[in-house]
Amino acid sequence: MYVSLFFFLQLLNMDAVAAKTARESLDLAFQMSNILDTGLDRHTLSILIALCDLGLNPEALAAVVKELRTELVPLPPSDAAHAIP
Amino acid sequence: MEEEDQQKVADLIKELVIRLLSQNPNSESHPPTPNSPQFQSSLRYAFRLISSRLTPSVSPDAAAIAESTKRRLATQGKSSQALTFADLYTKFASKTGPGSVNNKWAVLYLLKIISEDRKNVKTQLGSLVLLPNLALNDGELGNESRVLLGKGNKEKGWNNGVLLVLKDPENLREIAFREFVNLIKEENEVSEEVLVRDVLYACQGIDGKYVKFDSGADGYVLSDVIKVPRAIRLMVRKLCELGWLFRKVKGYISESMDGFPSEDVGTVGQAFCAALQDELSDYYKLLAVLEAQSMNPIPLVSETASSGNYLSLRRLSVWFAEPMVKMRLMAVLVDKCRVLRGGAMAGAIHLHAQHGDPLVHEFMGRLLRRVCSPLFEMVRSWVLEGELEDVFAEFFVVGQPVKAESLWREGYLLHAGMLPSFISQSLAQRILRTGKSINFLRVCCEDRGWADAATEAAAAAGTSTRRWGLGYGETDALESLVDGAAKRVDKHLLDVIYNQYKFKEHCLAIKRYLLLGQGDFVQYLMDIVGPELSEPANTISSFQLAGLLETAVRASNAQYDDRDILDRLKVKMMPHGIGDRGWDVFSLEYDARVPLDTVFTESVMAKYLRIFNFLWKLRRVEHALIGAWKTMKPNCITSRSFMKLQHAVKLQLLSTLRRCQVLWDEMNHFVSNLQYYIMFEVLEVSWSNFLNEMEVAKDLDDLLAAHEKYLHSIVEKSLLGERSQTLYSSLFALFDLILKFRSHADRLSEGINELQARTLESSVPSRNKSKTKKRLNDTSEPGSWVSEGRKALTQRAGEFLRNMGQDLDALSKEYSSLLEDFISKLPMQQHVDLKFLLFRLDFTEFYSQLRPST
Repeated sequence: MYVSLFFFLQLLNMDAVAAKTARESLDLAFQMSNILDTGLDRHTLSILIALCDLGLNPEALAAVVKELRTELVPLPPSDAAHAIP
Repeated sequence: MEEEDQQKVADLIKELVIRLLSQNPNSESHPPTPNSPQFQSSLRYAFRLISSRLTPSVSPDAAAIAESTKRRLATQGKSSQALTFADLYTKFASKTGPGSVNNKWAVLYLLKIISEDRKNVKTQLGSLVLLPNLALNDGELGNESRVLLGKGNKEKGWNNGVLLVLKDPENLREIAFREFVNLIKEENEVSEEVLVRDVLYACQGIDGKYVKFDSGADGYVLSDVIKVPRAIRLMVRKLCELGWLFRKVKGYISESMDGFPSEDVGTVGQAFCAALQDELSDYYKLLAVLEAQSMNPIPLVSETASSGNYLSLRRLSVWFAEPMVKMRLMAVLVDKCRVLRGGAMAGAIHLHAQHGDPLVHEFMGRLLRRVCSPLFEMVRSWVLEGELEDVFAEFFVVGQPVKAESLWREGYLLHAGMLPSFISQSLAQRILRTGKSINFLRVCCEDRGWADAATEAAAAAGTSTRRWGLGYGETDALESLVDGAAKRVDKHLLDVIYNQYKFKEHCLAIKRYLLLGQGDFVQYLMDIVGPELSEPANTISSFQLAGLLETAVRASNAQYDDRDILDRLKVKMMPHGIGDRGWDVFSLEYDARVPLDTVFTESVMAKYLRIFNFLWKLRRVEHALIGAWKTMKPNCITSRSFMKLQHAVKLQLLSTLRRCQVLWDEMNHFVSNLQYYIMFEVLEVSWSNFLNEMEVAKDLDDLLAAHEKYLHSIVEKSLLGERSQTLYSSLFALFDLILKFRSHADRLSEGINELQARTLESSVPSRNKSKTKKRLNDTSEPGSWVSEGRKALTQRAGEFLRNMGQDLDALSKEYSSLLEDFISKLPMQQHVDLKFLLFRLDFTEFYSQLRPST
């Protein structure tokens, strides 16, 4: 009874359900991300998920995240001297 | 669509770069602008990175990644987080349909890599912050100068490290732990893979790089110079037990095989070595597989360092569990068997086979089948062909070079030490006897018929008798084979002995001639050799006696006997001392030739000789008594001829004669009853029993036993046994007395004859004068009666008779005392048949009444 009602509702508001699922998925991914201590915020994560869905290589994405972050981390002076010019 | 996607990707990346840059703590003061050169370069860098790697290096499997992530969390000691993560993942994975994330594994993988990257950075930071001194060795910073490092440290400490530590006290512990792990890793100068490889080498008896055989510790050990944790050291030691065992087994095999031609390892030992070798080759196979496996990494999804090689020491210990059991067993067996050979070795191994563990049981069974096959082959050829193919003295039957006559008794023996315990004693006896029978037939009987019997037995026992067909565990088959062969061979042997060699006929001949069963022959022999035997022993020629024996044979019914049997009958003169008479040394001998001399051995013949001597003496005594009777029959000494004698002398003569007759009668009673007892109750009864046993005898051993029993019963019953020695001596005293009596009786009758002749002569002097004279000259009496007158004659006769009477009285007294002695001793005998002798002798209770004691 309940299940059939649920399907009915799903048929009716397809878009609403899709949006809800997307939100929940993001929530779950965010929680996992927190557990794994990735240090990503929600927005960045959503961007990354979108990129993954578009078929980009997750390794490459991870490399981008890592590189851009370490770039921001102050490097030893010799490296920094190179980077500035 | 493509372009749209491209555009979307570009937008998203741009957005991502902005986000990432905006998080940068350094650049918080200047928020990034899309036009700033830093942003532009970062964006370009990002694009370059993404385009460089288009496809992932691992296969897309969301579940595997989730699993490995979870495990990593768990190993880091964050089990609650691991559980939460697993829960989240299942929820995440269950989101399907529109709006959900399509590329779930990518997301997960992404998260995982980012988290690992971050951790690495943190660890770096941590090590720098917390353990600055150790960090000196850190490879990444190794090339930095101290001064610069110091500066950097300060900066970092300010920027992240301290902050981080303060923020998260959990982290502190984690960092410390990870540091510890690093330390451990440094301490372990050798990695586990290397150790695994070394252990695998050690298990093949080869010294590895680090694991070497230490003769002091008697085992493979990890050398002390290498720093590894105690646990690993122990583990290596434990695993290397296999190597130690292997070394032992291998050593034994090569030792045995190298020394093979010179030392006698024996076929069983060789079979044992071969079986061990086979087991070892299985073991080699396992090692080869393991070695191949040790090169492969564990097939994990992630390619990062967390997946070690497939074989760790722990995995190895699991793999080694079963070979270890087998190898231990083999080592134990090798230890046990080092000094053993042949059947003893098989027996020792068999003792280990009684094991409840099916693995061990099956293993031992396999081993034993190999080990025992030479042994069973020996049994087979021994039982069916009588061949003792035992170069290394491993078989439990041992052959000895002996003469043909003792082949059966001493030629082959059971070697108890070589008898494996799975062959029972009785079966071993049967095996021994069967082969012995075949050899006996071959050597002694020169018979070829046994081969048919053996073939028949082999056919009857079925397929299991073909070469190498018998195996360990088939004791029943072995037993039936042995039984079949034994039955047939023994039957054949008995047939040969009975029919071809006429065992029964020879036994009968021995009974008739040696045991004096043939009455007329004995009588005749006694008659003709009697005078000869009265001579001193050293004057008698055995050739002459042999001639007399021949005459006796011809004169009696014995002449109708088989020529072969009569030829074997010979006279034997025993070694004689001074003063021995012919009677003491004369005996008959029967020459039983091969193969019957197995039954009639020298000791048996010696027993027959003793019996013969006894019986011969008995016969002689009987013969003597009969001879006495001949001369003193009442009608020989007619009272008519004494009419002319004086009344007093006549009375004396009659009383002496009567006394003599009474004594003779008494003696005759004794001797004839003894004779009867010996002939009927002893000889015939024993013979009849012997015949019955001969009928049921199944093999030669039975026959021998029956014959032994026959002989023994004769010896026992005729007072020749050990226990009746005193009885025997008193019996001989009696015999001697009787013989003495005979000579007295002879003298008496001679005297009487003399007297008679004298009285006749005095009445009819012309008759027979010359004859009487001649006889008178022969007499041994000192002085002659001839010249005396009638009165003198009467006087001499009276004196003679008085002397004789006194002698007879003395004899009679001695006889009755001896007889009483004999009869009183008789009931003390154990043998029941001797009681019958007593009844017979004392039938009227005449003697027992005389005896004062009863």
